[in-house]
Amino acid sequence: MSDAVIRWTTLEERDVLRQGAAVSQPTVGATPASARDETPVDDGGDLRLSRRGFLAASGFTMAGALAACGRAPPVHSAPGAMAPEDVVAGRATWYATTCGGCAAGCGLIVRCRDGRPVKVEGNPRHPVSAGGVCAVGQATLLGLYDSRRLLRPVVDGRDATWKAVDERVRTDLERVRATGGAIRLVTGTVNGPSTSAAVAAFLAAFPTARHVSYDALSASAISDAHRRTHGVRVVPRVFLDRAETILGLDADFLGTWISPVEHTRGWRAGRTLGGAPPRLSHHVQVEAALTLTGSNADRRVRLDAGTEGAFAAHLAARLAKAAGLPAPATPDPLPVEAAAFDSVVAHLWATRGRSVVLCGTNDVDVQACIALANEALGAYGGILDVAAPSLQRTGDDGGFAAFVDELEAGTVSAVIFAGCNPVADAAGGARLTAALPRVAVRIGLAERHDETTAALTVVTPLPHAFEAWDDAEPVRGVVSFTQPLVEPFGEPRSLRACLVAWSGAAMSELDLVRATWRRDVLPRLPAGAAEASSWRTALRDGFVRVDVPRAPARPFDVAAAAAAAPRVRPPGDGWVLACVPSVAMLDGRHAQNPWLQELPDPITKQTWGNAVLLSEVSARRLRVADGDRVRVTGKDGVTATLPALIQPGLGDRTVVLVLGYGRAGTDRFAGVGPAWIEAKPTVVRGGTVGASATPFLRFERGAVVYGGSPVVVERAGGREDVARAQVYDRLDVPKNVAPHGGERRDPVHETTLAAFTKDRRAGHPHAAHSAADLWPAEHRTPGERWRMVVDLTACTGCSACVVSCQAENNIPVVGKDEVFRRRDLAWMRIDRYYADVPGATGEVEVVHQPMLCQHCENAPCETVCPVLATVHNSDGTNGQVYNRCVGTRYCANNCPYKVRRFNWFDYARHDRFADLVLNPDVTVRTRGVMEKCSMCVQRLHEARAEARRLGRPLADGEARTACQQSCPASAIVFGDANDPRSAVARLIAQDARHYRVLEELNVKPSVGYLTKVRNRPADGEGAERHG
Amino acid sequence: MRRRTLSIVAVVGALLGGAVVIQGADLPLPGNHIGYEPVQPIAFSHPLHAGQLEIPCLYCHSAAERSRHAGLPSDAVCMNCHRAVGATLSAVQEEAERAKAARRQPLPVVSSEIAKLYRAQGLDDTGQPVPGARVTPIRWVRVHNLPDFAYFDHRSHVAVGVACETCHGPVDTMARVRQHADLTMGWCVNCHRRANATGLPGGRPARASTDCSTCHY
Repeated sequence: MSDAVIRWTTLEERDVLRQGAAVSQPTVGATPASARDETPVDDGGDLRLSRRGFLAASGFTMAGALAACGRAPPVHSAPGAMAPEDVVAGRATWYATTCGGCAAGCGLIVRCRDGRPVKVEGNPRHPVSAGGVCAVGQATLLGLYDSRRLLRPVVDGRDATWKAVDERVRTDLERVRATGGAIRLVTGTVNGPSTSAAVAAFLAAFPTARHVSYDALSASAISDAHRRTHGVRVVPRVFLDRAETILGLDADFLGTWISPVEHTRGWRAGRTLGGAPPRLSHHVQVEAALTLTGSNADRRVRLDAGTEGAFAAHLAARLAKAAGLPAPATPDPLPVEAAAFDSVVAHLWATRGRSVVLCGTNDVDVQACIALANEALGAYGGILDVAAPSLQRTGDDGGFAAFVDELEAGTVSAVIFAGCNPVADAAGGARLTAALPRVAVRIGLAERHDETTAALTVVTPLPHAFEAWDDAEPVRGVVSFTQPLVEPFGEPRSLRACLVAWSGAAMSELDLVRATWRRDVLPRLPAGAAEASSWRTALRDGFVRVDVPRAPARPFDVAAAAAAAPRVRPPGDGWVLACVPSVAMLDGRHAQNPWLQELPDPITKQTWGNAVLLSEVSARRLRVADGDRVRVTGKDGVTATLPALIQPGLGDRTVVLVLGYGRAGTDRFAGVGPAWIEAKPTVVRGGTVGASATPFLRFERGAVVYGGSPVVVERAGGREDVARAQVYDRLDVPKNVAPHGGERRDPVHETTLAAFTKDRRAGHPHAAHSAADLWPAEHRTPGERWRMVVDLTACTGCSACVVSCQAENNIPVVGKDEVFRRRDLAWMRIDRYYADVPGATGEVEVVHQPMLCQHCENAPCETVCPVLATVHNSDGTNGQVYNRCVGTRYCANNCPYKVRRFNWFDYARHDRFADLVLNPDVTVRTRGVMEKCSMCVQRLHEARAEARRLGRPLADGEARTACQQSCPASAIVFGDANDPRSAVARLIAQDARHYRVLEELNVKPSVGYLTKVRNRPADGEGAERHG
Repeated sequence: MRRRTLSIVAVVGALLGGAVVIQGADLPLPGNHIGYEPVQPIAFSHPLHAGQLEIPCLYCHSAAERSRHAGLPSDAVCMNCHRAVGATLSAVQEEAERAKAARRQPLPVVSSEIAKLYRAQGLDDTGQPVPGARVTPIRWVRVHNLPDFAYFDHRSHVAVGVACETCHGPVDTMARVRQHADLTMGWCVNCHRRANATGLPGGRPARASTDCSTCHY
């Protein structure tokens, strides 16, 4: 039974549990001494009032009262000389556009109020993202209102006009052209038709120019491997919804790899338990770091960094043999247990045609092996599409490495960097810094100053995605459009417009994109669609589907794939480094975004920085504990000194560094959070948030190596505490009030597919009992009765909902010091629980549980509020009335779910520009007020008011909470439980997996969960545990 | 000790007494701006437009149907009529007669208040753009102000047929718009309770919520 599972959140807790003792007060090793709240002792004194004192006090009161008697200053309303069409004060307008957070090209619908974007939502009809948005996509909104954005061009460190810039650049480029000097244009992935056309025109105008494209999180090896095997340099598009068995090898496809939202959609589609028989794909993850994807796998097998190649070779050899294809050599021993390997191979082979291997290792030979394995499994043409591939990573590591060599050789005369920061995020970035000053013409297009622009002479501002015209073709066959949602701040200009201005006649951004639409996109529209489609409908929808020319497929080159010889594992038993991206930071391009900096990592729960992640065994070997500073030294003496953080589930030789941190300019967050006497800066002035792992990246064998490099790890002395969320907000009962044996209450119900198929109620520890009720049924819900259900089988913990909630509900950023003090204000948090895997020391299983106000029917918070500031609404939700709250915090103490948040301060709202991000429909809370999830009451009101205005009843799915809207996995279902036909009512009534957390308390939460079901084969190891 | 008790009693008594006085005299509590009647940048006459000419409220305040805010008309809405109408009919007729007497073309007649509208639009008295003039929207003074923690939705009220004058009073008789009702929470809640008890205009049942979260979130 699942109540035998010991679930824990921190290692300290686990150790206590293993000793069989109940957890009373969790030891929070990482909490600095100063962070403990120390209440100054107040002896009270004698409240004696002298006559003089009384008069003084009453006089003061009188004066104060009189001073407050004046009328508030008049409020002015300027309706505008000419109201733009469709813009009505107080009414939101929605525009379809494309996300600029990464190159995945997810479709967005952005809510604008009074001429400015205030909330990012997913476009449900978009072929790539289908309504999901990730945490980064949500947070790009704040990037628009960043006061550190570059607003005007800068030449030689001084502000300049565009006219001066254009003249200078044209003259410079003309001179370079005349002398025949090499021009290099360096960008990230470019897949937009209009930008590609502009680049092509520029290259044609300057014959010595070359386009160098690289990705900081590179998938170059996948493209190169497919050039070997398929003759085309592409990254195949993945349709995970068609997969029955998924093997992820070092590929965090649900979190950070290529197109996480798209993959999450597909992965989720393979996990629909409602049908008969229930559909649940089998997902095995083999990886060194514990990634988000690994944490969601049905089975996770850990290996040490650097041995992925050996695994891939063995896998390819075994599958190729089974399929009767020539097999690659396997010089290295199998890096995982043979039983686990056999089981994975057996699953893949048994479901061939419906199984796939996804590999994130950036090594051409490894990827060739994987291609061979996928060919043997018959994944091409079904799950993997090479004919209409992904264009979300088109960078070429080899091209970039050649560019760095050229720079060092001094053969480049002009260089233009656009929208990329290779000095900080590319392998060889340090070499760039040294070589760049020797280039005569150095131009950069950037949204803000960064490490790369520091070495350039001309720096021009790029527009934010929400103020630009643009197009993208993230996957072949889908053209996605970007339209401006706000008048640009400053004078930004896109790469496209710059290239056109520097190589030909200048055109407006809109004209450029429209010209491409007419010339390149319209002719590609499928027959019949061209007449129905216009520029306006394309903009309204945000995308168009276009025909993909089906070239005759070249046969799979088996010989080339079988000749692959993956890199041999690093010798000896020294430390091996794995550099991995995190869900919030990706490659670090959003390092200046405080929402993302404060977003707890889904696995480590770390905020504001990165750490050296080590396994428990490794930590013992090094004699370090959480927060002890550790120095990692790589080849060529590159080092990073960071606090250690013990991460369960890692290999014992593996050291993990998270990429994207240590960015220049992040010391801007020194003053983030409340300014008070005990405040400590989030980052020291002149320092950076975290440390960069980029120096450890190397270019080897045709691609950038992220993992597998041998490193030296040693104690550096000193401590630096790691600010982690979820070492607090615990759902256990304090020892002194718990009934015997009732200290532990498992908030997560979990079972296996085998057990679930037999009994749909499997996983619930005991039938929910409803004893006599002391509470009168006094809460009537005459209209709607809002309820929510979260499917734990679907939830990946990607944290998109957390940032979505933050944006929707004006939740401030509190800073690192306040996180230490357990005062973060997230209304939505994701609780991450570990559980040991029996018989496999060091392996862990992970469950993610979104936790928000449960809107209890018998709400414990309501009964203890002395001022009735938290009360029950007639729609079943629990309301928090800020203007009534006096801040006793009784409610938070009485909340069993620990979801209430207290405003200890008036959080910094000093940045008037950043304040534009505030949602005008939600009160900005002041100091001394309690707050918590409101079920997005403003959105419910909006939906209800619209229905009322149009004179029709509210339809199911019309009122959606922010977390629900963004969820790429559709794990959150919300609706009116009084309507028996609503999706949520049917789930509650019919789905046997439905349960409520801490149901035994009889608080009757309105939020329910669906049991986590893992597809564990009945015969596999680890299945007995769940019986 | 006795002195302390006395002073506490005195303070509490004074507060209670004050409350009784305020209650008895029906004085508005702090924050209740009933009767607020600020001077507007243009002496716009509701009696003329809404009363005499019977222009519906929603012609100018059209957002009330679609948005939480009723909205003020943009200057362009005024210009729908005032592009042609520059002064009262009598003033125009007088000028016409004067012109007739003096045997000349009548001059454009623009009242001093409408001239302000033209200036804001960057136009001269004949309605022609003044070269170099900037368009500066008129900054009206808001009469009905709710505190920031209260959200009111015009749209819902208009949709169920609550008449504008229920809350705003006889605006068509106000030379200068004045806050007619308390706009306090008690006043709102009373109306909601009344509506639930007696139904909406036309006898339909009301669903006027009295939850805190109806207005506070």
